[in-house]
Amino acid sequence: MQILVVDDDPLAGEMIAAVLEDQGHQVFQAENAVVALELLNAQPGVELVVSDMNMPLVSGVELYRELQTQGRKLPFILLTGDDPEAARAQEPAIDACLMKDFSMEETLPAAIAKVMAASS
Amino acid sequence: MALDIKKFISRFIEEARDHLGRLTQGLADLEQGIDTEQINSLFRSAHTLKGSSRMLKLEPITLVAHSLEDLLSALRDKRLGSSAGVSALLYQAVDTLTDQVEALEAKGEVAELNATQLEFCKKLSALAENPDLLNTPVTPATTASPTVVSEAKAEQDKPALKSTDTVRIKLSKLEELIKLMGELVSNHAGMRELATSARQLEKTAESKPNSHLEMQQFSRNIRETVLAQEDLMQELHDKALQMRMLPLGIVLDSASRLVRDMARSLDKQVECRIQGSEIELDRQMIDQLADPMIHLLRNALDHGIEPPAERQKKGKPARGLIKITARQDAGWVVLDISDDGAGLSLEAIRDKALKKGLVTEADLAEMSDQEVTDLIFLPGFSTSALITEVSGRGVGMDVVKRSIVDELQGVISVRTQLGKGACFTLRLPLSLAKMRVLTISAAGHELGFTAQYIAELLSVPEASLIKVADRNAVIIRNEFVPVVKLADLIGLPVKAKQASKPIAANKKALLLLVIRVHTEKLALIIDKLLDERDLVIKQLPEHLHSNTLISGMVTTGQNKLVSLLHVPYLLAKARKVRGTAKNETPTLGKEQRKRILVVDDSLNTREIERDVLEAWGYQVTLAEHGQDGLDKARAEVFDAVLTDVEMPIMDGFTLTARLREEENYRDKPIIIITSRAKESDRRRGIEVGADAYIVKGSFDQNSLVDTLKILLD
Repeated sequence: MQILVVDDDPLAGEMIAAVLEDQGHQVFQAENAVVALELLNAQPGVELVVSDMNMPLVSGVELYRELQTQGRKLPFILLTGDDPEAARAQEPAIDACLMKDFSMEETLPAAIAKVMAASS
Repeated sequence: MALDIKKFISRFIEEARDHLGRLTQGLADLEQGIDTEQINSLFRSAHTLKGSSRMLKLEPITLVAHSLEDLLSALRDKRLGSSAGVSALLYQAVDTLTDQVEALEAKGEVAELNATQLEFCKKLSALAENPDLLNTPVTPATTASPTVVSEAKAEQDKPALKSTDTVRIKLSKLEELIKLMGELVSNHAGMRELATSARQLEKTAESKPNSHLEMQQFSRNIRETVLAQEDLMQELHDKALQMRMLPLGIVLDSASRLVRDMARSLDKQVECRIQGSEIELDRQMIDQLADPMIHLLRNALDHGIEPPAERQKKGKPARGLIKITARQDAGWVVLDISDDGAGLSLEAIRDKALKKGLVTEADLAEMSDQEVTDLIFLPGFSTSALITEVSGRGVGMDVVKRSIVDELQGVISVRTQLGKGACFTLRLPLSLAKMRVLTISAAGHELGFTAQYIAELLSVPEASLIKVADRNAVIIRNEFVPVVKLADLIGLPVKAKQASKPIAANKKALLLLVIRVHTEKLALIIDKLLDERDLVIKQLPEHLHSNTLISGMVTTGQNKLVSLLHVPYLLAKARKVRGTAKNETPTLGKEQRKRILVVDDSLNTREIERDVLEAWGYQVTLAEHGQDGLDKARAEVFDAVLTDVEMPIMDGFTLTARLREEENYRDKPIIIITSRAKESDRRRGIEVGADAYIVKGSFDQNSLVDTLKILLD
């Protein structure tokens, strides 16, 4: 599956990508929402967006809303360094909210499985 | 699962270091005033550190970063105002993170937070929630910091400035280098072709009648290819050197940390402001810069910045300020390290220098304030009366000077004002690797000089040399400069072939290479200037390290090695030769000797005039400008005064006129020595009351001494 990872911290982005690639996915990386939107235009095969919450200019939640208004209803997983519940409260419609932490190796694939099952 | 996320740890360390550098810099800026965008970016750094450390399961770092983030968000949302107390906490959090990252790098893991550190984190978060806590009597900064620091620092026996052993290079820079290599390779292919056509030419040369035309074409081709190659090599070399350049921030960013740590252990309050850390310097120099910097900073903190109570008594802010500013000045990087502390006490320096036997009373009397200040650079001098833990004992400013001057080919100077502070200025060449070099020949030997020590190169008729105190000197623009033969000074054996030639050839004119360190100059007689160009300086091999005469080697064309002479050493050696000559002066009883005051703004001229006069048995005191001369003349009575005309602050005419108003000098001989040969000047000299007017151009020591003798008897 093709997945777009959006994170302003290149290190975090690469770690997330590493987890996903390890699962056999093909990963595109974007360092902000604008690049993310461009990438989505260029890569119609992307089936899932995994985005960081806290980013300069456009946050993860704002990116989600933008995608919704553009009518791109891709499954969206939000990652955050803070409390995931607080992020979910901001935008309850988001498919999943995860804490960025060491257990992401397990939580992220699990969340993807759940989100993809729900959307298909 | 095969994935090992821990492999990202080294990336994390590198990134964390960037963020911590940014945080430190940002906190320093914050003290100048709050800017929302700035806090946002600090907040983001803390947030990123928190996020990526959590993904790598570096919980202790996550905890500290989290508390830091909390406090920064309180600042951002204006729930908390900035104050010295808040700054101290922010710095402490950044310092703790820095320690953790360093530990992570050294040991591959981060220790769990200890009780004090946990307490500290809680305090930060609590303070973010409830800003009033800051005003509670138990101020967090002082209670928590000493313990945290001492625990974290326990393994580190001495303070150190960090420098890394890897270099990060912009991809674009590397690509340029690779592109150049490509061009060089294709240039090389051209060379191969030329080699083939050379062989062909060789074969056909005899049979073909008009082969010289082909030969001409061939030689043109070869010239062009070689020229193109030269350009490429030059560019390649420059680019490669640039890659070794590192921003000064590598040393300076950890300097502010060092200052804070030392300030805490000394119970002083200090802000460290850094400017210009983006300026780049050769990494070789950056490494060598760390030690002298630590030393200067320690001194500033230990002896410069006063304890808070004392500062307040003097009407200064309780918190001291140490400023490190870097700027680029032509081929140099200039670093100023200044503090607003007590400054250097000239009195204390004089006392100490006397006690240590470094100078005599008579020496001191002749010294200007700046010269006295410079005594701190002498070996065996150290101004601290108390031996404190921070400054340690044994090493002093002389070591700092040695490493700046000898190892870094730089210059160090100090300015100070009592009660206001001191400023040390380091001038460093941008790169040690490549410098402008003059190659010359002397007695048939080829030798090199780095251009920063060369004042000028001039050719003078042999007859224009003047003999003073059994030595040669030359007058260069109103200044006496001693002249020595380079070959004699360093004892070069004369090469047989050359032995007779130079003497005949140089009958009419001498070639003088004037070298300079600070204000001291020396003219060296050389045979010939061979070349001047930028050359790569090679380090001396191990077995030559102890040779103080040679500072490095360069390779000139034809693969010949040429030694670079170490100019400060040459000057010292010339001084030594002079010193021995001085001792042979007739020793009259002190009371019988006439006392002469010599006033001239040129150090070389003053010294030469002193040597002449001392050789004739006079007792000489020096002054460096009219006002200095007047002060000294008032302080004690001299039998005669010799003065230059053009000097800063007060010129020689004014000095003469003023002296004539003094009771003690109404009838004393005053001699004006100047390069001004104009009749009107001479008349003015006599008008203001000088007894004699000697023009330097026609200077002859006998005329000076004769004039003096006549006037004094």
